Amino acid sequence: MKLLHLYHDIMNLYGEYANVSALERIISNSGENVEIDRISLGDTADLQAYDFIYIGSGTEDNQKLVLEDFAKYKDSIAEYINSNKPALFTGNSFEMLGKTIIDCNGKEYEGLGIFDFKVVEQNKRRVTADIVYTADFLNKPVVGFVNKCSEINGIDSHLFQVKYGIGDSKDSTNEGIRSNSFFGTHVTGPILIKNPHLLLYIAQLISNNTRDFAVSTEHLQRENSAYEVTLRELNKRYAQ
Amino acid sequence: MRKQFTILVCKILKFVGGLIGKGSSLPGQIALKIYPDILGSIQLPKYIVAVTGSNGKTSTVEMIAHTLCESGKKVVWNKEGSNQIEGVTTLILSNSTLSGKVKCDILLIESDERFAKYTFKYITPTHYVITNLYRDQLTRNGHPQWVYNAIKDSIHPETQLILNADDPLVSCFGYKKENITWFGVGDIPTDTKDFDGVYNDGAYCPICKAPMTYSSYHYDHIGMYECANCGHKRNDTEYTVTDADLEKGEITINDKYKITLSLKSLYNVYNILAAFTVASIVGVDNDEICKHLSNYVLKNFRVVTFTLGNRKGTLVTSKHENSISYNQSLKLAASDKECDVLIIVDAVSRKYFTSDVSWLWDINFDVLKSENVRNVVLAGTYCNDLATRFSYSQVQKEKIKVIESIEDAVNFLDNDSKDKIYVITCFSDKGKFLDKVKVD
Ligand SMILES: [Zn+2]
Repeated sequence: MKLLHLYHDIMNLYGEYANVSALERIISNSGENVEIDRISLGDTADLQAYDFIYIGSGTEDNQKLVLEDFAKYKDSIAEYINSNKPALFTGNSFEMLGKTIIDCNGKEYEGLGIFDFKVVEQNKRRVTADIVYTADFLNKPVVGFVNKCSEINGIDSHLFQVKYGIGDSKDSTNEGIRSNSFFGTHVTGPILIKNPHLLLYIAQLISNNTRDFAVSTEHLQRENSAYEVTLRELNKRYAQ
Repeated sequence: MRKQFTILVCKILKFVGGLIGKGSSLPGQIALKIYPDILGSIQLPKYIVAVTGSNGKTSTVEMIAHTLCESGKKVVWNKEGSNQIEGVTTLILSNSTLSGKVKCDILLIESDERFAKYTFKYITPTHYVITNLYRDQLTRNGHPQWVYNAIKDSIHPETQLILNADDPLVSCFGYKKENITWFGVGDIPTDTKDFDGVYNDGAYCPICKAPMTYSSYHYDHIGMYECANCGHKRNDTEYTVTDADLEKGEITINDKYKITLSLKSLYNVYNILAAFTVASIVGVDNDEICKHLSNYVLKNFRVVTFTLGNRKGTLVTSKHENSISYNQSLKLAASDKECDVLIIVDAVSRKYFTSDVSWLWDINFDVLKSENVRNVVLAGTYCNDLATRFSYSQVQKEKIKVIESIEDAVNFLDNDSKDKIYVITCFSDKGKFLDKVKVD
């Protein structure tokens, strides 16, 4: 089993490396060998050789820097997603797959154009919130935190519905993007640690797409308790 | 007339507020409503020293004030820690004559880093200390680069910058500029050749984004960095810690001036160095500064010693949502003699609500694998998040006890062990522990 953590040292603002650690543990606890490649700017990888790809969030400047480098994967990431292989891009990393990103000075950057959405950044205020989202493929909500300065418009297949917190843009009730087994969300930090059911879902996708192993969940007791406490606290807070 | 009236209102509100124990930002807030440009019309003293940065500004300001006051200077400073424009306005107006003159030698202002541009719109500091820029309260601050941009907007060209040379992002404020006063730590025994944190915010040059190299690290990404691509590097320093013996608790500044430490952490050394630099610049004799800073115990209750039954302990206030603050506290515990460590995350912040704990993943908990650390007790609402984080650390499983209730955790520690207790938690949670023990 091969996992790829792209731009691990520059797109890692909120402890996102832990998403990869969580997958590494659940897959190896399920009796499979896991190999993780962590590569960054200037490196090259054959994406099709991997069973999962992850990118986390970075500063606005670093995202632009990474975008320039990431452009070389334009065709291969499209092929990867079209062949229904799983990938997760969190924070502002998934913005790179859209049509354009306009920065706070009005400068336009061309995205990889895999999807049709457009991104507009501002530098006046951080847009942040604790979030509770629901998804049609999960039987429990997702909890987490969003920390961004951009709005996204033009996503037609959303990943999440906003129960509490903020969505793609002001007043949007949806968040993120799903296409085949590609997941893009602005939720920052270790979303797979905070949401063991989402971890399980993605681990299952990896297993179905590859060697059909049975995912082990025994080690997730603390994670499950932590999730329940956070969901309780957020429900309590937002009910006020 | 409007000026005098506004000053009078502010003074009265401050006085009444003091009687009923109210915060110090409301009088300034009302004064700014009556007269938005009031600060621009006040006659300020010769020295206006501002201090900002992610960590250590309250401690640094307290030590500057202490040193200057002990040296016979008259200092006006925001000791209540209200560090946004409203609090600073209260500070200035309540120390002003009715005609609008602040009578002191030095006006010393701790400023919130994100809002400094508003505070310094009408006040031009003569000296501006920037301590460091770390991942701090990112749920509000976004990220260090975002805070950097906010501080940048607060700097007047005529202000003398006093910068931490060891912080690659802070140093950008002085990139290709003359007349910066740099302070920093030289080669000291605790330096490491390799990076030992969880994440490295010094991996890429903040100016040109090329990979940076370090000849040594003091802690985290603070150290001797250099970018071969654009030449951004750790500057030579005018005020330098030339030797530091943390075990003994003594530092030497500029090969000559010795200061004994009451808190033996490198983190604290930077605050002392910044205080030394400011005091020296405003004209206090260097030997006299050493006398006032030696063995100085901070009054801001960051470090509290306590007794629990037969056991002695130290609570080290560490900022939640701030991995570097935690790392320093953990190092302090791990480098002491035999001890138990209690970590409490019950409310993430005292000022606002969030349940975000992603910052736990940036903390280097591995240092607690040290042999002298016996038990690691994890407590509070988010104890399961802590336990999960620890399951990904190198800390031995058998050391770890997860006890959600702080009271039960205290009872667990109330035993006959001779080992010291270290408590690591934030402002938001420390009272919940301290009210269950005897504070020394
Ligand atoms: Zn450079």
